[in-house]
Amino acid sequence: MNKQEKERYLREYSILKSQGKPFFPYAVFKDGTMACITLAVIIVLSIVLGAELGPKADPTTTSYTPRPEWYFFFLFELLRVIKPPSVVFIATIGVPTVCMVLLILLPFIDRNPERRPARRPIAMVTAVTVIALMTYLTVEGALAGAPGKITLKTPPQYTAGKLVAAESGCQGCHKIGENGNAGPGPNLTHIGARLPRNAIARTLVNPTSPMPSFVALQKSNPQKFNQLVNFLAQLK
Amino acid sequence: MKLPTPPGLRRKPPRPGTTPTRNGAKVNGAANGDPKALKQAQKQAKRDTRKEQALEVPIATLSWLDERTGGGPFLRAFLFRKVPKGTNWYYTLGSATLFAFVNQAVTGVFLAMYYNPSTTQAYGSVHHIINDVFLGEFVRGMHKWGSTVMVVLVFLHMGRTFFFGAYKYPRELNWIIGVVLLILTMAMSFTGYLLPFDQRAFWATVVGVNINASGPIVGPYLADFLRGGAEFTSTTLSRFYAIHMLLIPGLIIALIGAHLFLVSKLGTTAPPWLKAEKARELAEEEI
Amino acid sequence: MADSSKKKRSPYTKDRGTLGAFEGETVTRRRFITAGALTAGGVATAAVALPALGFALGPIFEKTVREGWQDVGPEADFNPVTYVPKVITLVADIGEAGKTTIYVRKAVAADRSPSDKGKTPLPYVAISTRCAHLGCPVRYVQAAQRFICPCHGGVYDRQGKVVGGPPVRPLDRFYTRVVNGRVQVGQRFSLNSKLERFHPRDPSNHLDGLWQYLYPRRPTT
Repeated sequence: MNKQEKERYLREYSILKSQGKPFFPYAVFKDGTMACITLAVIIVLSIVLGAELGPKADPTTTSYTPRPEWYFFFLFELLRVIKPPSVVFIATIGVPTVCMVLLILLPFIDRNPERRPARRPIAMVTAVTVIALMTYLTVEGALAGAPGKITLKTPPQYTAGKLVAAESGCQGCHKIGENGNAGPGPNLTHIGARLPRNAIARTLVNPTSPMPSFVALQKSNPQKFNQLVNFLAQLK
Repeated sequence: MKLPTPPGLRRKPPRPGTTPTRNGAKVNGAANGDPKALKQAQKQAKRDTRKEQALEVPIATLSWLDERTGGGPFLRAFLFRKVPKGTNWYYTLGSATLFAFVNQAVTGVFLAMYYNPSTTQAYGSVHHIINDVFLGEFVRGMHKWGSTVMVVLVFLHMGRTFFFGAYKYPRELNWIIGVVLLILTMAMSFTGYLLPFDQRAFWATVVGVNINASGPIVGPYLADFLRGGAEFTSTTLSRFYAIHMLLIPGLIIALIGAHLFLVSKLGTTAPPWLKAEKARELAEEEI
Repeated sequence: MADSSKKKRSPYTKDRGTLGAFEGETVTRRRFITAGALTAGGVATAAVALPALGFALGPIFEKTVREGWQDVGPEADFNPVTYVPKVITLVADIGEAGKTTIYVRKAVAADRSPSDKGKTPLPYVAISTRCAHLGCPVRYVQAAQRFICPCHGGVYDRQGKVVGGPPVRPLDRFYTRVVNGRVQVGQRFSLNSKLERFHPRDPSNHLDGLWQYLYPRRPTT
């Protein structure tokens, strides 16, 4: 802003200010009401949802699924989707640091003296995009399921097979419904429609690397192996 | 010997230019001989004197303070300053955030009276709070949900400031202080999350510290600083507790003070779609 | 003769318009007291700030004390085919928080490290359950013979090498030895993708190629 623009703003501001109302009681009334609403929300949340304490911290666990607090879900989801190891540090440190620096420097990046939202297209579009992106990542992060469960609804006769799939670590590389990882293996949610039952069984025994072979399971527990194949074959 | 009359019963001298009346204008009516009016006038006079007497002590105290602090004019200017035309309910988000912070501070102090920051005792002390202490679960709930509400309000307040263009001249410094406050708020939630020392807290902190360690060269040293070494020990919990209780709240309070000072000095912006009529005339004038 | 046209500057601060000057104050006195004030203030601040900083930053420069060799069971408990989970102590005296689970298996020829270089290779493979991406607890799935991380989708093969997801290096291992027929587990070490040994690193620290210079060994390890 040059000197002329600055003076014009200050002049206009002083006029608008003199046409206003006194801080006490008008603004204090609004602030006080909002404070009451805030307190009411906190109290209601505290009474209705409570403050549960999970199991005691146990570093020896191998079955726990760590998750951050909800307002960090967007960062958590970012870490899940950025897979190549060489760019991991960009997701962990790079993106948040760059965002913080951009936020701090905002008044120096956006020097347009215009304040009306209708006349600030770049600022508005950027803001809406960032908010939409963060909301999407937060929701995706919240839905990310643990790798030990499959929440997909299945007919009761296939539940046994679903359990075998859940405990065999398939979700480490495959997505089944909402659970599991989106790589390096293909999405299995509709695998039954793509491959016939025999092809599924063959792949389990003789897969392409890096997928492990389940021939050991077929030999040691053929019933479980068949349940697994039947479950996968009905995923249409 | 007659003692001097106590301050409460002393009559105030009449203001210059007025005639001294004992009980107001009704005395004239009473002087006309109306006994009912006289009784009413006397009752009113008693009420007036009692009101004067009741207000004398607070007024005396305030003027004692004002004489010694010079605070009167400052308070008057602060309380009765004008806020610009068109100030609406969006402008309450900032003070709501402050109120949420005060809630966190107060509930935090009460929780600190029962919390034990040792790796073996922390979980037990929180368990004790929610099960045995009167209103313990409620206070802990207020602190936990208060942190969610505060983060939401901080982001809404930041969004409001962005959309109204209130970070532009002359309020750039205020925006920068605000972003630093946002970062400190997220740091508070990160450090506070570990304190109950349950599974969720422990593993979220392990991951969070390792995220810090991922930065090239400097990262692992930062992680060492947070953990107090290369492994997660009792020092780690004590550090997080000290940072959460003392270091960051001190910084937040100092920066909120600076933030509020700038807000009252520079004033809040008017909503950007408002245009002052006179301003347009003046602008045309200067061209 | 003396150059009288050259005017001498007044030795008094009041004549020079110095801020806060009072009658009779000379410039030299002013300069001396100013220097003294700044020095004394600097010394006082340093005397408080430097020890405080050292106190806070101290742990970064001290070697973290770790447990020595720990007994995890007789040789008969373990085999070269599958992993057996065991609990060891990483940090003493802090109860449960100082322990961790490791997976132990008898070593085979494929587990040899290039760092062995003719010395006896480690008799047992003791794999850490801390994911090399960001430290979440991994679990071994026997059916798939994979280590799977529940957080961000990391998958490791039987040797702990990365086969999927964001982890940046194989799972850390612990030194092992056999004493009197019992298996003992020692200090942790990190590996790069070629199974070369390094001093222990934090998760997310790469060790392949030039990366090892971006994440060097620290005083605490």
